[in-house]
Formats: sequence, C-alpha cells, structure tokens
Amino acid sequence: MSLLAVTRLEWRRLLVRPLAWVLAALTLAWLAWNFTLLLGSFLAGQIQNAARPDGPGLTDLVGVPLLGQLAQLAFLVVPLLTMSLIAGERRNGTLPLLFAAGVPASRIVLGKYLAVLGWLLLWLLLTLAMPLALAHATHVDWGKLAAATLGLVLMLAALAALGVACSTFASHPAIAAAAALILALALWGVNLGAQMAGINGGTINWLAMSTHLQPLLRGLVSSTDIVWFVLLIVLALALATRRLSADRERD
Amino acid sequence: MTLPTPVSTEPVLRLDQLSRRRAGRAAVQNLSLTLLPGQVLGLLGVNGAGKSTTLSMIAGALRPDSGNIQLNGADFMEQPELARQLIGWLPERAPLWPELTVSEHLDAHGQLRGLHGVALKQARAAIIERLELQPLARRLAGVLSQGQRQRLGLACALMHRPALLVLDEPANALDPVQVAALRTLIREQAAAGTAVILSTHLLAEVTAVCDRVAILHEGTLRHDGTVHSDDHAALERTFFEIAMNGHTHPARAA
Repeated sequence: MSLLAVTRLEWRRLLVRPLAWVLAALTLAWLAWNFTLLLGSFLAGQIQNAARPDGPGLTDLVGVPLLGQLAQLAFLVVPLLTMSLIAGERRNGTLPLLFAAGVPASRIVLGKYLAVLGWLLLWLLLTLAMPLALAHATHVDWGKLAAATLGLVLMLAALAALGVACSTFASHPAIAAAAALILALALWGVNLGAQMAGINGGTINWLAMSTHLQPLLRGLVSSTDIVWFVLLIVLALALATRRLSADRERD
Repeated sequence: MTLPTPVSTEPVLRLDQLSRRRAGRAAVQNLSLTLLPGQVLGLLGVNGAGKSTTLSMIAGALRPDSGNIQLNGADFMEQPELARQLIGWLPERAPLWPELTVSEHLDAHGQLRGLHGVALKQARAAIIERLELQPLARRLAGVLSQGQRQRLGLACALMHRPALLVLDEPANALDPVQVAALRTLIREQAAAGTAVILSTHLLAEVTAVCDRVAILHEGTLRHDGTVHSDDHAALERTFFEIAMNGHTHPARAA
C-alpha cells in the first residue's frame, strides 16, 4: 500500500510541475514536426518503394525512425524528469517525512520510479499514436513496430532507473541530471572506440546500450538484449535503494 | 501484522540507552525515557543539545547508532512500519512539497499512513475544520507563510490520529493567538490519550502545556521531572544551571 501511496504522490507532483508539461509539449511538438517530414518523404518515394518486392514500408520509413528520434530525446528528457526525485526531496527536507511514515527505502525508490516510468510510457504512447493514426490507410509491419516499441520501453525504463540512482546519490538535482546524462551517453557509446577499430564483438560491445537497442529497432527480439536491460534496471534500482537506506543511517 | 493495542498504564514510548553520533560528535548519548499515554513531555535544551536528533530518531527518520526504542511495547527498530500508524511528527520548519496544495498534502500524508476512501475524506475534513484550514485548502504549500506552514505540518501529523505526537519546535513562527490555539490543541490531544513529546526553547511553553520536562545538555539527559504551571521560576533556574554548568546545583538536585 505504501508503494502505491508513494507512486500516487510522485505522479501528482509530476502532473502539477510545469517542467513535465513543458518537456512533453516541446518534445511532442518536435516529434510531430519530424513525423510530418518523415511522412512527406515516405509519400514522395511511395511509388518507387511499392515497385520493389522488399521495399521499405511505413514502419521502416516513418514509425521506427520516429521512435529513434524519441530515443535521442530521452537522453535529455529522462535526466530532467528524474533529477528531483530524491535529490529534490533531500534538499527540500521532505525525505524524512517518507522515512517517518514507515516507508522502506526500496518502496520509496520503486514508487518514484514507477511514477516516472508511467509518464515516460504515456510519452511513448503519444508518439506512437502518430504513425498508428495511418494504420487504416497503409500496411503496418506490426511485428517490427512491436519489437521497436519493446526496445524503447526497455530503454526508457533503463534510463529512468539510471536517473533515479543518480538522483539518490546526488546532493543537488542539477548534479543528478548531469550525472544521469553523462552515464547514459557513456553507456550508449562505450564501444565507439572498439567499433572504430573494427571490433564488433566482445565484452566492450556487450556493455554498450546501442548494441542491445539497435537489433530491437530492426525488429530482432533477443532474450540477451532483454536481459541486458533488465540487469541494468535491477542494478540501478538496487544501488539507489542501498544509498537511500544509508540516508537514515547517516546524516 | 497486528499492531499492539495501547494499554493506558503501559508506556507508549520507551527509550533505552539511545545514542547517535552526528557530524563527528555524540549528538545523543545513552538517553533513556518513558512516556505514558496522555502525558505531555517538554524537551528542553540549548541549540545543539540533541533535541531534534532525539525527536528524529523517535519519529523513525533517523536510525540510532545504539539503544532501543519501544512503541506500545513493540520494538520499533525491528518494526519501523509501526511509525505509520502510531506516530505523528512535525519536524522543525515543517518541510512541505511546494507544488502541492494544502488539501493534497493532507491526502498524501493520509495515504502514506494507510488511510483510504471514506476514512481519508473524513480525516481530512475533520483536521481541516479543527485547524481552521478551510481558506487555505486549495492554496499551494509553496506560497504559505511560515505560520501557515506550521499549521499544515501539524495537520499532517494529526491526520491519522497517532498514539504519539512528536513536535519539534511547534510554536515556531506562530503568532500569540496561534500559540494559544496550539496549547489548547496539545491539551486536547493529551486528554484524548495521545502522548505528546515536544521540543522547545521557550520555558513558558513547557510550563503552559507540559506535565513533565526533560532537559538535554550535550546529548545527555540532565533533568527529568514533573512540571506545574506555577513552577516557571524553578524551571528557569534549573534550565540555566544546566545550560551554564552542565548540571543542577547539588543541593537542589538532591
């Protein structure tokens, strides 16, 4: 019950804070503009593509690229949304109120994580609604779109967990946002050097988020990729819980 | 889990050898206290005496380094969730979520303490009426004056009818009328069986509302005794002796 109370409280705070609305408005406007551009080029090349037996369709030329743009925006949006979750409470002096309500650190972390994840999934849903609005007029590759959506869900969930962890460790929300952004970018491109050197396998490539998201965006669902995201989420939330528990121990 | 039922002769709160270090020094050392239902205990001490640390530990916001806290006979360290129903806490300066309204604060606190549905609505309506918060109900906490924040913090602490009310400097920023109302409220709560522990700098606050006074100095308990409303001069003497010398005059202490 306390988990639900924390989620509800955080969700309410997200909804009344201008930051969440401004981020939603700006990013959705940007994505809508890009959707019209992608749709324009899809319509322009429709005849040539239709003539090719394995020509790309709406999913390849509009749906997946749009989700790719959402993934890029997520690197900025998620740290901004998660930065205040714990660091803000700590600065505000409201964190002890949650402790004093007998809520364990794990439920505080999970409750806040679920609230942000809810916002992010709504954001993804609104973005998906754009290509889906054309589903009745053209052929949609549902399997590929579902795989790409799964990839985005996992990526958003992982970035949110990373953001929550950074917010738990940081003393100031701005530091939490910067740390989450840097960590996410590092995690995305940790294998760039290896790839430039022509190494496309090995541990360094396995560590990179791009290695696990790109196959999903191409429609390839592999349990290894899913496990990678789940491991990252569990590790980040476990670290956040551990750090928050220590808050009650130390000053 | 079944919560222990309060028994009027059993202490609501029992502190046993409670110690806690903060910022590299012993903020509280070997503090032992008991508090019966309906008792009002005033915690006095100069700045840095360990009052807020003690209250934070009792409220469950800070874990003691050693010692034990019992609530209604149950081990609070083993069952921190006891705080949810048994304790109402007003921290110093009443921290609030600035983006939530007064009404939303009460709902959030009620839900965190396990209130839902009709029970939550009734509790909110009752506390809004009792603390005269109707004109502020839809106002954001971020724009409240310090006195209004203090009243909202008090309302949040009382939402779930706790068995133990922990108040850290509750009269901070309140005007004389509000201070009088606060004293009435504390006496009301005590009459209903709620044990109250409050920290203050104001000796008059203690003589006005408390049955007992405990004086902390450098983290240790130096005095624990009953208070009468006509005891102000004696209390003042004891307090200053402890504040200046660290102990009461041996003849008086005996």
